[in-house]
Amino acid sequence: MPTGGVFSGSVNLKYVKLGYQYLVNHFLTLLLVPVMAATALELARLGPGELLSLWRSLELDLVHILCSAFLVVFVGTVYVMSRPRPVYLVDYACYKPPASCRVPFATFMEHTRLISDDDKSVRFQTRILERSGLGEDTYLPPANHYIPPNPSMEASRAEAQLVIFSAIDDLVRRTGLKPKDIDILVVNCSLFSPTPSLSAMIINKYKLRSNIRSFNLSGMGCSAGLISIDLARDMLQVHPNSNALVVSTEIITPNFYQGSRRDMLLPNCLFRMGAAAILLSNRRREARRAKYRLVHVVRTHKGADDRAYRCVYQEEDDQGFSGISLSKELMAIAGDALKSNITTIGPLVLPMSEQLLFFFRLVGRKLINKTWKPYIPDFKLAFEHFCIHAGGRAVIDELQKNLQLSSRHVEASRMTLHRFGNTSSSSLWYELAYIEAKGRMRRGDRVWQIGFGSGFKCNSAVWKCLRSIKTPTNGPWDDCIHRYPVDVPEVVKL
Amino acid sequence: MELLALLTVLLLAHAVAYLAWQAVSRRRRACCYLLDYACHKPSDDRKVTTEMAGDVIERNKRLGLPEYRFLLKVIVNSGIGENTYCPRNVLQGREESPTHDDALEEMDDFFTDAVAGVLAKTGVRARDVDLVVLNVGSFSPAPSLVSRLVHRFGMREDVMAYNLSGMGCSAGLIAVDLARNVMLTRPRTTMALVVTSESCTPNWYVGTDKSMMLGNCLFRCGGAAALLTNDPAFRGRAKMELRCLVRANIGAHDDAHAAAVHREDADGRLGVSLSKALPKAAVRAFTENLQRLAPRILPARELARFVSRLLLRKLLLGPRNNSKAEGGGSSPKIDFKTGVDHFCLHPGGTAVIEAVRKSLGLTAHDVEPARMTLHRWGNTSASSLWYVLSYMEAKRRLKRGDRVLMVTFGSGFKCNSCYWEVTRDLADAGAWEDCIDEYPPETLVNPYMDKFGWLNDLQGQGSGFIF
Repeated sequence: MPTGGVFSGSVNLKYVKLGYQYLVNHFLTLLLVPVMAATALELARLGPGELLSLWRSLELDLVHILCSAFLVVFVGTVYVMSRPRPVYLVDYACYKPPASCRVPFATFMEHTRLISDDDKSVRFQTRILERSGLGEDTYLPPANHYIPPNPSMEASRAEAQLVIFSAIDDLVRRTGLKPKDIDILVVNCSLFSPTPSLSAMIINKYKLRSNIRSFNLSGMGCSAGLISIDLARDMLQVHPNSNALVVSTEIITPNFYQGSRRDMLLPNCLFRMGAAAILLSNRRREARRAKYRLVHVVRTHKGADDRAYRCVYQEEDDQGFSGISLSKELMAIAGDALKSNITTIGPLVLPMSEQLLFFFRLVGRKLINKTWKPYIPDFKLAFEHFCIHAGGRAVIDELQKNLQLSSRHVEASRMTLHRFGNTSSSSLWYELAYIEAKGRMRRGDRVWQIGFGSGFKCNSAVWKCLRSIKTPTNGPWDDCIHRYPVDVPEVVKL
Repeated sequence: MELLALLTVLLLAHAVAYLAWQAVSRRRRACCYLLDYACHKPSDDRKVTTEMAGDVIERNKRLGLPEYRFLLKVIVNSGIGENTYCPRNVLQGREESPTHDDALEEMDDFFTDAVAGVLAKTGVRARDVDLVVLNVGSFSPAPSLVSRLVHRFGMREDVMAYNLSGMGCSAGLIAVDLARNVMLTRPRTTMALVVTSESCTPNWYVGTDKSMMLGNCLFRCGGAAALLTNDPAFRGRAKMELRCLVRANIGAHDDAHAAAVHREDADGRLGVSLSKALPKAAVRAFTENLQRLAPRILPARELARFVSRLLLRKLLLGPRNNSKAEGGGSSPKIDFKTGVDHFCLHPGGTAVIEAVRKSLGLTAHDVEPARMTLHRWGNTSASSLWYVLSYMEAKRRLKRGDRVLMVTFGSGFKCNSCYWEVTRDLADAGAWEDCIDEYPPETLVNPYMDKFGWLNDLQGQGSGFIF
């Protein structure tokens, strides 16, 4: 797939489209410009002395002034009230599994050897683990500690209750949230969707209100966390004065692959247990204690393309074992999806200087010299912190290269992969917790969360920090943050 | 003086124009039209009769004679006819070992028929769809079914796709709720595709737990796809306009939450267990929903009448409450027929339809669409209300200005309702086209009643037949 031409071509069109939309949407505002310009000119022409005599000749009495003032204030208030409501992230909690669920390399390898008869598979998984970028402290649910693992529905429900309820309890402790105050509930869990749904399970456990608006998203992959945030944001735009609880998790228990196909063994090695609960709100009084404000959510879906659609695919192997196969082209497809996402988010977040540079380089390529390389905007100017989905070492490497980031920018992602493994949709929240635990989050900082997932989707969310976050944060990193960052070698010899 | 006045006037005029424009565009986006919908009609080779169902049950060697009789009794009394559809793997004898591909094939058949159908009927291209919401209760592969849909029809890169799962038989209206809320937030008009189905392939229960076997007798294959839009340009072509949608979830009560649970039985086999507390949970959820719905859809006159009768009764009876024998008889009922012309009830089973009929005070004519849908298609879970709507349309019942109320129940326990106003006379028979003239049939009695009729003479088998 040609990268430069298609990329710049679609960007070209996007800019034209954006320009037209801006013109039409802000037509009345733009009309104001000539009016104000004319006024300013007129005032400049008159000079101060004349202005004073003009003012005196107005013969304004109290009634006039009061009426005008009232009208101005009234119109101003209505205008302010009619703007889209800001969506605040009040706080979030990440689940920290107990030490009994820990899976060091030795445990993982021993279990693999005992479960599998196939030597080649065992050696393959060893090699994957060596190069994975995971550390010795990642967690698997209790059912996976059995030999062989016990992927029953009961065990899956138990894991779901453990991770979700712990995360929500932690969030309630941190925010003082009352269950009766939750108006919107969005749960996403890709590979486990029982009946009644996980959202109904939460409603039952915490006795939430009967008129709650709940949604249970499923099957949407590792980028589903941001899809849930998008849905919660839309619901908060429609319902004033509301709280939204978003729960992102991935239930590992039912998804252990028992066969020997290599492309399906990868998830066994990489996916680990985790969950995050996030409280969003559009209540004005939450603005005081909220940590972040949601600025943009941009979603890109590459499902129309065959290769992208099949790159993360659940199917049965020849022996009938169900597993998720990851294709070798995953990196290239992730890069493509990211480029598409950037073309939409770039104009929204990049400073004018970068946009102009990009535009001129584009014009130059078209008119002057075709061999000029397309300009890759410097996103470091737009964001202070990056949270890249910890899908695997290769994904982080690829994005670091594509976005030209330094190792400090991807540190949160690498360390999350090392400490917690690939926790799917909740990994972005562990990364954010890392940045906060390191004391790097200052007021006014902008954060870019990028998630990738099956479909193939690339979703981005942009947050703005509203208050400097003090350490210790009482998050999942508190007991080990002093050890980080850790140097993760290319290959760990097992 | 003139300049200042002119300036103030200009600024004020600008501000007022801006606010007016905002208000108008918000109002334009606030309407939600049902452009069209299509119900899935599976191919004829998937039809299953009572006799065939009996054969499938007989194949299961784990079932003893009592279970066999119980199941046949359920089927014979279920109100389900001889033309419902089953997944292929069950008919081919592979109900114990459904494969992933079988389930995907069932979904693909549905996409090809209903989704392509609704796009063709309306002339909307897949690339024009801005939002797609898919709901399939108990099958959720990776990549999601909504991604499969996006892939199959080649939708745009910036399409907003949502995949709901696990939300039970009432999730069709949850999908509509999601679509409507997202439409309200977009600055431009949105074309939304709402796709609802249920996956029967992986969910045929092969064990011996009675509470789980009911699902096999009631749930059948089906699905529906609908196009919703908030573009006023489509008003002339739209079929109905959404007026109000109310959701009630009583999952906070433990027994309601445990009414329908997908779990393993004592032998480790998966199935959906329907508990005996289900009818009570349904009634509770229904009441909860109606309490919030009634003030929004009924005319003020009816509400006033109901409230005054309630107050009068309380005054007359004084501090003594729950006295049924005294004076006026049963408690005053609110008459929904003053605000609703057609009732689209979830055909969960004959007992459910009957219970709803009684509590709303409806006639046989009102519940005929639900009963006939149950007979012709079985309980197709979340998509069944679209079949009920289609029946009403095929029978030419829906005229401009009529008001339709959709009510569904589902696990959780939820009761969702949706109130529509018909915008033009409707006459499209849809999936009922080839058989609408045969409905209502002379008798709904199962033709195998004679053969299996001896079942009804047996007492004390499978207590409390809840459906």
